[in-house]
Amino acid sequence: MGGVHPHDSKFAKDCATEVLPLPKTMYVSMAQHLGAPAKPVVAVGDSVRTGQLIAEPGGFISAAVHSPCSGKVKAVAPYADLSGRMVTHVVIDVEGDEWADGIDTSDTLITALPEDRQFILDRIKACGVVGLGGATFPTHVKLNPAPGSPKAEALLVNGSECEPFLTSDYRLMLERPKEILVGAAIMQKVLGGPKCFICIEDNKPEAIKVMDKALQELGFADMVVQPLKKKYPQGGEKQLVDAVMHRQVGSGALPISVGAVVQNITTSFAVYEAVQKNKPLVSNILTVTGDCLPADRHHNYWFRIGMPLSYVAEYAGGVPAEAGKIISGGPMMGKAVVNLDAATVKGSSAVLYLKRETTKRWQEGACIRCGRCADACPMGLEPLLLNRLYKAGDRLEELEKYAAQDCIECGCCLYSCPAGIPLLDNVRQAKQQVMGVIKARAAAAKNK
Amino acid sequence: MAETYLITPNPHWHSPVSTKRLMLDVVIALCPAVIASILFYGWSELAILVVSVASCVLIEWAVTKFLLKKPSTIGDLSAVVTGILLGMNLPAGIPLWIVFIGALVAIGVAKMTFGGLGQNVFNPAITGRVFLLVSFPAQMTTWPEPHGFIPNVDAFSGATLLGQVRLIGADKADALVNLSTLFRNIGGSAGEVSALLLLVGWLYLCIRKVIKPWITLSIFATVAAIAAIFHGVNPEMYTGPLFNLLTGGIVLGACFMATDYVTSPINSWGGVLYGFGIGFIVMMIRYFGSYPEGMSFAILFMNMTVPLINMAFHQKVYGRK
Repeated sequence: MGGVHPHDSKFAKDCATEVLPLPKTMYVSMAQHLGAPAKPVVAVGDSVRTGQLIAEPGGFISAAVHSPCSGKVKAVAPYADLSGRMVTHVVIDVEGDEWADGIDTSDTLITALPEDRQFILDRIKACGVVGLGGATFPTHVKLNPAPGSPKAEALLVNGSECEPFLTSDYRLMLERPKEILVGAAIMQKVLGGPKCFICIEDNKPEAIKVMDKALQELGFADMVVQPLKKKYPQGGEKQLVDAVMHRQVGSGALPISVGAVVQNITTSFAVYEAVQKNKPLVSNILTVTGDCLPADRHHNYWFRIGMPLSYVAEYAGGVPAEAGKIISGGPMMGKAVVNLDAATVKGSSAVLYLKRETTKRWQEGACIRCGRCADACPMGLEPLLLNRLYKAGDRLEELEKYAAQDCIECGCCLYSCPAGIPLLDNVRQAKQQVMGVIKARAAAAKNK
Repeated sequence: MAETYLITPNPHWHSPVSTKRLMLDVVIALCPAVIASILFYGWSELAILVVSVASCVLIEWAVTKFLLKKPSTIGDLSAVVTGILLGMNLPAGIPLWIVFIGALVAIGVAKMTFGGLGQNVFNPAITGRVFLLVSFPAQMTTWPEPHGFIPNVDAFSGATLLGQVRLIGADKADALVNLSTLFRNIGGSAGEVSALLLLVGWLYLCIRKVIKPWITLSIFATVAAIAAIFHGVNPEMYTGPLFNLLTGGIVLGACFMATDYVTSPINSWGGVLYGFGIGFIVMMIRYFGSYPEGMSFAILFMNMTVPLINMAFHQKVYGRK
C-alpha cells in the first residue's frame, strides 16, 4: 500500500564509523525521549564520570540520562534544542573519559543470556534505553506491555533504514552484527519468546549477508533475517507489521494489539550494551552527509550525546557553502535545524546538508486531482481530500471519517504532489485538531 | 551561522514530477498520432493544430492577465494539451476561424470561467468540440479524404464509416472494418487517423505512470460487451464490437479525453464505473440516437457525475475493515 521511491543517496554507506573525540563542553538534554523530561540528580560543581546517572526518569513514560563524559557539572539550565525550544540541559566541563564503576567497556562479545526477565527490564530502564528508530519511546515500557495485552507473536527488529542518505543502521549491521542479534535475543526472551524477524530492505544485500552469517554462527532459534522490498516508508512501524506479518494495526492502536513488537536495530544494540555490559545509552552512530558534499566528505561517527551539532559539523569539515538547509535526520522525516548549536541526543541519526534548489519548497500550483498523493500515502489516506476539508474549515467530522488522525507524517504526499501543494502541513494541522476531538471525547466518556 | 538556511517542515525533498512534466508527457504521448494526422492531411492539418494550440495558450494568457489579473499559468502546459486535443478532434480542412472559436469555448468558457486548471467540471477540448458540432454542423461533419502531405484539389469529402451505417446497413459497414483497420486511416476527426498510434501513446502514459489504465480499459470493455450482445442478437441492425471500438473517436476519447485528471474520478474503481458510463452512453447514442457518433456527449455527461463518484469511492484506509 502506497509508498514512494526517492533516490537512495546512501553516499556514506562504505564509510567505516569513526569515533568523535570529546569537545570541551557537553550539553546533555533532559528531553531526549518521548514522554516526561528527565529530572536532574546532579548539581553545579558535582564531579561526574562517564555513564554515571545524571537524571532520573521524570514519569512512567520517561527515561534516565547518563553523563557522556567525565568532568564537572558547569550548569543545569535551559538551552535551545535544534528547533529553538528551551529545554533543561546539564552542562558538563569535559575532563576526560573515565567510566563509572561496574560498566564493561571492552568489546568482548557476551552471548550468554541472563535468565531473569525482571533483571533484564531493570537494566534496560536503568541504562536509559529508548527507541532509536525515530520515536525515542522508552524501551523498557515497550518491552513490558500492559497486563491484558495480546501475547507478542513476532518481534520485528527494524533495519530497513528506508530514509534516503541515512547509513547509521547499515554501518552498525556491518560492524556489530552479533551484538545486535544478542540484543534481539534478549528482547525475545523478555517478550516470552516470539519469533524474531531481522528486517532489512533488499537494497542492502551486504547487510543481509553479514547478518545472516552472524545469525548462523550464533545459532539462535526462532530468528530469521527477513529481506524487504525497498520502499519509503517501509520502516514505518505500521508498514513493517503489514509487510512482515500481513496484519494491520488499528487506528490509534499499538502493534502489540496484533501481536507485534517493533524495535530498531540500533535499539537492539543499546539493549545488548545495557543488559550484557551494564553500559548506559550515551553514544550512537550519526551520519554526516548531503547532496552538496564531495565524495570524501561523507562520514559515519560514533558520537556521545551532548556534543553540539555545530561541533560535529566543524569536525566533519564545516558546513559546505552550497548548503541551503541543514537537517537533523533524513530528507523525508528529519527536522530542519533552527539552532546548529543544539546538542546531539540519543535519537540523533544524521546531519544532512541539502542544496537550496533540491530542498526548497515549490511554488504552489493548482490541484489537478491526479491522485498521486493518495497513491503515495502508506496509510491509504487521501491527502487531497483532507487538504480540501481542512482548508474549508470546521469540517472535523469528515476529517475524522477520512482518518486525518491516522497520518504518520511520513511526507509521501507532499513529496509526490506535482503541484507542490503543502499537503502534509495542512494534514498535520487537521490531524492535531481531530486528535483534540478524540481526546476530549475519551475524557468525557471516562468522566461519565 | 548565516541567516540564510531554509527552515521548513518535512519532507525536505520533492519528487521531480511536476504538473508541467505530466503535461509534457501527454504531449509526447500525442506526438505519434499528431505526426500521422499531419502526414495524412498535409499543410491544412498542421495549420489547424498550430492555430488551435496558439489560440488556447493565448486565450489562457489573456484571461489570466486582463480578467483575473493573476500570474500567468500557461507555463504548466495544460493549455497546450487542450490545444492539441481540440485540433485532433476537428475534421481536417475546417476553416481556421472556427478553430479559434473552438479554442475560445474550450479555454475561455470551459476552463477559465470555472477558475482555471483543476476547477473545471467539463473536459475543455470536448466542450469546445461539442460547441462547434452544434454551432457549425456542416463544417464539423465535412470529412476530407486523406490526401497526403501535398494539397490535392481533387480530394472529395466522404462520410465517416459510422455515418454510413444507416445508408449501407450494419452488416456491410462491419465488413469494412477488421484488425488491419488499426494500421490505416478510416476517416473522421484528424487525430483519429491511426488508432494504433493513439494506443502507443496511451501505453506510454500508462508505463510512465502518468495515468492508470482502468478508465480506458473499462470504456473498451463496455463498448465491446454491449456491441457483442446487440450484434449477436441482430447483426443486420447492429454493428459489432471491432467496428465500434475502432470508429468514431472511441480510441482517442478513451485514451486521452476520458483520462483527463481534472474531469475524471480519483479512485480506480470510480474510474471503472465512469468508464462503464461512457461506454454505455456512447453505445445507446450509436444504436438508438440520432447522432452517429456520441463519444463527446458520453464523456461530457459522465464529467458531470465525477463529483458524485468521488464522494462514493474512497481507497481503503490502513487498519480499517
